[in-house]
Amino acid sequence: MIKKDLSVEFLGVHFDNPFCLSSSPVGNCYEMCAKCFDEGWGGIVFKTIGPKHFLIDEVSPRFDALTKEGTPFVGFKNMEQIAEHSLEQNLADIKKLKENYPDKVVIASIMGPTEEDWEELARLVTEAGADMIEMNLSCPQMTSHAMGSDVGTNPELCRAFCQAVKRGSKLPMMAKMTPNITDMVPVAKACLEGGADGIAAINTIKSICNVDLDRKIGLPIINGKSSISGYSGKAVKPVALRFIQQLRTGIKDVAISGIGGIETWEDAAEFILLGSTTLQITTAVMQYGYRIIDDLKSGLEYYMEEQGVDSLMDLIGVANDNLIPAEDLDRDYVVYPEFDTDKCIGCGRCYVSCFDGAHQAISFGEDRKPTCDHDKCVGCHLCALVCPVKAISKGEVVMKPGRKGTPAEKAI
Amino acid sequence: MTGDYKKELKPAYTMLTIMEEAGRCLLCYDAPCTKSCPAGTDPAKFIRSVRFRNFKGAAETIRENNALGAVCARVCPTERYCEEACSRCGIDKPIDIAGIQRFVTDFEEKAGMKILEKGAANGKKIGIVGSGPSALQAAASLLAKGYEVDIFEKDAYAGGFLRTGIPEYRLPNRIVDVEVKRIADLGAKFNYNVDVDKAKLDELKAKYDAVLVAVGASEPGTLDMFAGNSYAVPAVSFLKEVKDKQGEVALPDSALVIGGGDSAMDAAATLKILGVSSVTCVTRKELSDFRASKEELETARQLGVTIIDGYAPLSVEGNTVVFKHRRLENELKLKADKIILAVGQHTTADKLGIAVAKNEVGFDGYQADGKVFVTGDIAKGDKTVVYAVRKGKEAAAAIDSYLGGK
Repeated sequence: MIKKDLSVEFLGVHFDNPFCLSSSPVGNCYEMCAKCFDEGWGGIVFKTIGPKHFLIDEVSPRFDALTKEGTPFVGFKNMEQIAEHSLEQNLADIKKLKENYPDKVVIASIMGPTEEDWEELARLVTEAGADMIEMNLSCPQMTSHAMGSDVGTNPELCRAFCQAVKRGSKLPMMAKMTPNITDMVPVAKACLEGGADGIAAINTIKSICNVDLDRKIGLPIINGKSSISGYSGKAVKPVALRFIQQLRTGIKDVAISGIGGIETWEDAAEFILLGSTTLQITTAVMQYGYRIIDDLKSGLEYYMEEQGVDSLMDLIGVANDNLIPAEDLDRDYVVYPEFDTDKCIGCGRCYVSCFDGAHQAISFGEDRKPTCDHDKCVGCHLCALVCPVKAISKGEVVMKPGRKGTPAEKAI
Repeated sequence: MTGDYKKELKPAYTMLTIMEEAGRCLLCYDAPCTKSCPAGTDPAKFIRSVRFRNFKGAAETIRENNALGAVCARVCPTERYCEEACSRCGIDKPIDIAGIQRFVTDFEEKAGMKILEKGAANGKKIGIVGSGPSALQAAASLLAKGYEVDIFEKDAYAGGFLRTGIPEYRLPNRIVDVEVKRIADLGAKFNYNVDVDKAKLDELKAKYDAVLVAVGASEPGTLDMFAGNSYAVPAVSFLKEVKDKQGEVALPDSALVIGGGDSAMDAAATLKILGVSSVTCVTRKELSDFRASKEELETARQLGVTIIDGYAPLSVEGNTVVFKHRRLENELKLKADKIILAVGQHTTADKLGIAVAKNEVGFDGYQADGKVFVTGDIAKGDKTVVYAVRKGKEAAAAIDSYLGGK
């Protein structure tokens, strides 16, 4: 059995592995979090706790999913707000979790409409024994505009709330960002200036997944109406990775807890390579259960072995420098596709996509095999992406006329 | 066990599983499946419609081309046509085109779609003898061109072999009835229990602008040695009885099926499904050049039919049959309570004055003589349902051309 050290240090806290439940329905009470720890997760972010005076009143039903062909959850829409249990109950659960799982990390997610609320909540969860605080500045479906993602787009408000939390607690604290913003960096900077020790990103994306075509109402339908609310799952991974990269570029060495569509160890490794130290997951757990931790951990350990690293920390942010502005990319050469006609099964998808979506460079022969006209081909490799048998690879590299350098020196 | 007989053996796709199967389709350019359908069905187009969730559009693609789309979805030996050509074979296994077609035609029925259309009346009338698949397709094609169509069927129901020769678990009567009703709704008049002989045919010739003979090959073949044998029954008679009575028939403890075609497999599988414990099928052909479709052979085997290949019957005494191997020095003696003879069928078209040899007319095309046309099994070409559909369309076109294309 593979045995690699998956432990990480994040904001001074030791995690035996980087995988945490994100603040959501999957970590809503003691029993859920205890089961999650029993199954091997490194930490939990307990479902966001709000002030006593903010009453949670949820709708029914409250979820929807985007599907594609046979895939049931391309993306997931969720209308739940924050923890619906009483403040006392939530604090008691956090206390009990720390008592029974002292080596696991319990992170308290909090949210309030005023500085007083933030400060008070920070104090309460610290007393309950939480290891860390996450500030929820980003839930997009709150019934109060003084809380959630409306706050998360306002750097000044975020800074003030972070300062309030720091007044209430000395625990390490991360601020959770909303992706419903053009540039996350100013908000993240304001949070760090206000006392945040790290950043959690991303929360869900404001969305409408589907519209009922007969009733002309978005889904889910609540007494004939619906609302915009947060979108998560595999479909948001590219958006999450982009924001994390921008955070790492805009704020050097910022500590990040990565969130957004992680299902497999490969997703997890991508978040780590782009600078996440811990990882948070909800949608995949809602769909498959806590047991996904087995393959997340095992897969990541095998990846570490393949990469020849003994500490996961060695992989954090390794890919950041390989993402550069578009204007800095090498535009001096073209790499042409190479067709393996033995592998090719003659479906003609490359031909269709090249003609209709690219540069009409591929011809499709009587023998149902493609050939490529290099005079027309721009080397976009759309053909390789649509090939169902991966019969198209990167072939000949040619320098554009008048450009310096040689094909041999290019990292294709 | 009549419950199993009455239930379709192959499960239908659900809205979820159909998307998984359609998702496997590579959506080929110039799709090989589409080029391989004898009836001109365009699977590439209807699967693409399913993939993009246009189920009604998919139904339209199937139905406009094939008046028996729901039947073909269940009985077409697609392994020889579209599915054999499927590019996905280069990866693992072909798309289940028949299964997708069945889902789409079931959807069409549930949605109450009426896709087939009747053309503007052209004042001409066609009489059709027989109501098998080729006759039904020809009727639909002629109606679309504005002809009036009267059908004369010897049985009390339409469908021919579809209704009598294919077991309920493969093709429920209900499916045939729905296809027939669609054609009746277009205006075809079905006259049942009419046995058309030479005199009646002459009468029809006088009354109609053209007569289409689609009598098929429904008479059971036999072997001389079984003449008068009370244990022996032709497969087509057995299959018809079981289907008419929906499985409520007297069953033997053991059965011997002689023959290796689709009817032999159907008879053997039917016996198994009805609960006969010992069913042995002996066929003269060897498995390497077996006549039955792979799917039918597989079904029979999975149901537990014993298949002995390479043996031809040599002699029979009562219910004991001696077989001899075609090439090897070996004899086999088998005794069973019932013997089913699946040794082919023949046509009675000659009674109508249509010259046939080996159950087929001697001429190419469909025009027999003046205003008499033929289609279905007696017309030249393959004897599968999908070919019946193709011939029905072509015969209708031939009639239309003969009558001036109006």
